[in-house]
Amino acid sequence: MWMTDSHLSRRALLRYGAYGAGAAALAGTAASWDRLTGADIPGRDDGSLVVATLGSAFDPAAVQALSAGFRKLHPDVPLRVNAVQAVDWSDFFAKILTQIAAGTAPDLVYVATEGVQLFAQRLGVPLDRWVRRDAAELREYFADVHPSLVESMMYEGSLHQLPVEFNAADMYLNRQVLNRAGAGFPPADWTRDDFTALLREMKRSSDSHFTPYFWTNRLWGGVVPWLFDNGTNLLAESRAPGGSWLWDTFYPAADRAGRGGGFRWTTPQATSARVEETYDYLASLIQEDLCTRPEGGNGTNLVGVFSTGRVGVTPAGGFWAGGLHLAGMKANAYDVQYFPRWRTQRMQFGAAGYAMLRTSKKQDAAWEFIKYAARKDVMTELFTANQTTPARRSMLTAGRYRETGPTRWQVFYDTLDKFPDTGPIPAPPQVAEVTDVLLKYTGTALASPRSVAPALRRMQGDLEQAMERAL
Amino acid sequence: MTNTQISAGRARSASAPPAVSVRPPARERGTRLLTALFLTPTIVGIVVFTVVPIVGSIVLSFFDWNVIDPPSFAGGANYREIASDSTVLVSFRNTLVFMVLAVALQLVIALSLALTLNGRMPGWLRSVFRSAFFFPLVLSAASISVVMKYLFNQDFGVVNWLIGLFGIAPVPWLTSEHGAMATVIIVYVWQQFGFSFLLFVGGLNNIPKEIHEAAALDGATGPRKHLAITLPLLSPTLLVASVVGIINALQVFEQPYVLTDGGPGDSTRTVVMVIYERAFEQLRFGEASAVGVLLFVLIMAVTAVQFRLSRRFVHYQ
Repeated sequence: MWMTDSHLSRRALLRYGAYGAGAAALAGTAASWDRLTGADIPGRDDGSLVVATLGSAFDPAAVQALSAGFRKLHPDVPLRVNAVQAVDWSDFFAKILTQIAAGTAPDLVYVATEGVQLFAQRLGVPLDRWVRRDAAELREYFADVHPSLVESMMYEGSLHQLPVEFNAADMYLNRQVLNRAGAGFPPADWTRDDFTALLREMKRSSDSHFTPYFWTNRLWGGVVPWLFDNGTNLLAESRAPGGSWLWDTFYPAADRAGRGGGFRWTTPQATSARVEETYDYLASLIQEDLCTRPEGGNGTNLVGVFSTGRVGVTPAGGFWAGGLHLAGMKANAYDVQYFPRWRTQRMQFGAAGYAMLRTSKKQDAAWEFIKYAARKDVMTELFTANQTTPARRSMLTAGRYRETGPTRWQVFYDTLDKFPDTGPIPAPPQVAEVTDVLLKYTGTALASPRSVAPALRRMQGDLEQAMERAL
Repeated sequence: MTNTQISAGRARSASAPPAVSVRPPARERGTRLLTALFLTPTIVGIVVFTVVPIVGSIVLSFFDWNVIDPPSFAGGANYREIASDSTVLVSFRNTLVFMVLAVALQLVIALSLALTLNGRMPGWLRSVFRSAFFFPLVLSAASISVVMKYLFNQDFGVVNWLIGLFGIAPVPWLTSEHGAMATVIIVYVWQQFGFSFLLFVGGLNNIPKEIHEAAALDGATGPRKHLAITLPLLSPTLLVASVVGIINALQVFEQPYVLTDGGPGDSTRTVVMVIYERAFEQLRFGEASAVGVLLFVLIMAVTAVQFRLSRRFVHYQ
């Protein structure tokens, strides 16, 4: 420390003046500069068309093929596929939103049903004008894709994505367990009571380490398919007006009947009699030891326990055929059937496609990529291992499922074709909160006896708050 | 600065004309510059990665921000919202219960093992145990939790299979409220106690043998020796272990997030989980920041109380 007299020398005055001027200049520069974003980092914004995909959705070879084919078709459009690693769709959307907040928004994002309305409402661009413009080119695509999948990608009358894959929740049954129980494979029109009776037979014929029915507590494939089956939903479901521009252009009268401008999920109805009845049914299965209390997560350990015969039945989609094959399960060791009929036999699905972000400065190029990714030859190259169900009906063939199974592979697309009321999981723009509330109170409702009604009352309150809250 | 310089300065200011600044000698200026140069990276790091985020969080807690739209000033609305939010309140309760149980268990296990290893034992065996106890700490908490989730699965887990060999019915480790909290604590303590254990081993080695020998001459043996001699002399280490343990426990996230996702219901939802969910899943960054600020205050308060109490219970040699 040095001593300073109360009066400054001329030199000191000049020095402090220079410091002050420097600081003021720095502050002024900082204040007048546009907000620095991640895009200002050298090398970040190289002018490429950036496509963000869920890291685990496609294998690296398929991504390379996807990129190479597009570059060949559009050599003037540099393309960068950014595979974002995430454990599930919710985690994926969180990471995409972080990129957007950092100023490095991609041009296209691979979005599943869980995020369709969130992206459409806040971030996305309707594809209507491009679809109208290229209608002739797209006619073949729409003729191959079920209208329910297309409708699930619409929001308030506009189309936001072209679906390229989907997964409906069907029932996978282990044939080894069925044989052990002396039970035949259930018919397509089996009922909920048939299902319960089958679980009891499986339980009787197995040891204490066996679980007849296993399910995971999540939005897709958790309690929701049972709600659909019982003719209800977590949120009141209706259709937005509009959309006739698309239906009239691409679908015959029979297919477009009753279609609208996309789904609306509004009033929570967790305390309705049918929702409570559904939870009571699942609670009764737990009480009877016919299924476990549902755990959270993505059911990664399920492949192992199903393929080794420690689980008899579980809900899953076409994506599981590839998973079971990789786990070493023979094509004829399992098979798939529709959900059993309760009040209805309506089933649920989730779909995915590319959403264009409104911040994109390359929207025409982005549209070219969307069209390219929906082509049959491109999808065939991308979806080789049966890790999902292609959205194009013509891609589901006996050859595709010969090695992996199941024998009844037609069930995957017939879930849409034979049950046209099969619909998407409820995913309003507030989907994150809705999912959190659903998972939380499903866990509570089924964690101990007689807790269904109180848990559903609390679920209703929290859902009402979530739906009232503007994003 | 030397006394001569101070005297010279005083003398000059008293007798000589004013308006003259006394500059330090060149060598001292060089030393100061060098000191500043060495400190700058640390200070810049602390400012950029600690001070700015803390101040930013406090400011953000008074705004509504969803990442997509610009932030809008909300006053104290976020704090009013979380004060009446049962999930937030339960998460604070869960975190406090977790902290008390996990830290107590961690300290007891670590201290017991350190005392055991401090006894007569071959050197190589002691090294093996030390490495084994410390090893879980170097592993990723998320990876451990994924593996533990398999082990504690009610139907297919190894743990229930093992206890089943003794005729015990399967325990719903992860799917019942008490079971889930107990499992999260077990997994956390298993991974974390190695740090406290190492601290205690170091602390025990620092206690002079002469004190134990003198105590033995006075007739103090076994538990009495530990209570009267070892623990008081180990109290500074205990303070450090408990402060670090409590701060870590109050920020627990990976284990409940992977093992139970906060469930069943809210039974294992912790404060940091709520911050993550509000911010990155529900895009309510203002509310998440408000919860973060409250956690920050809680950690500061608990730590302050610990240091206050340490004046009475911690004995330095």
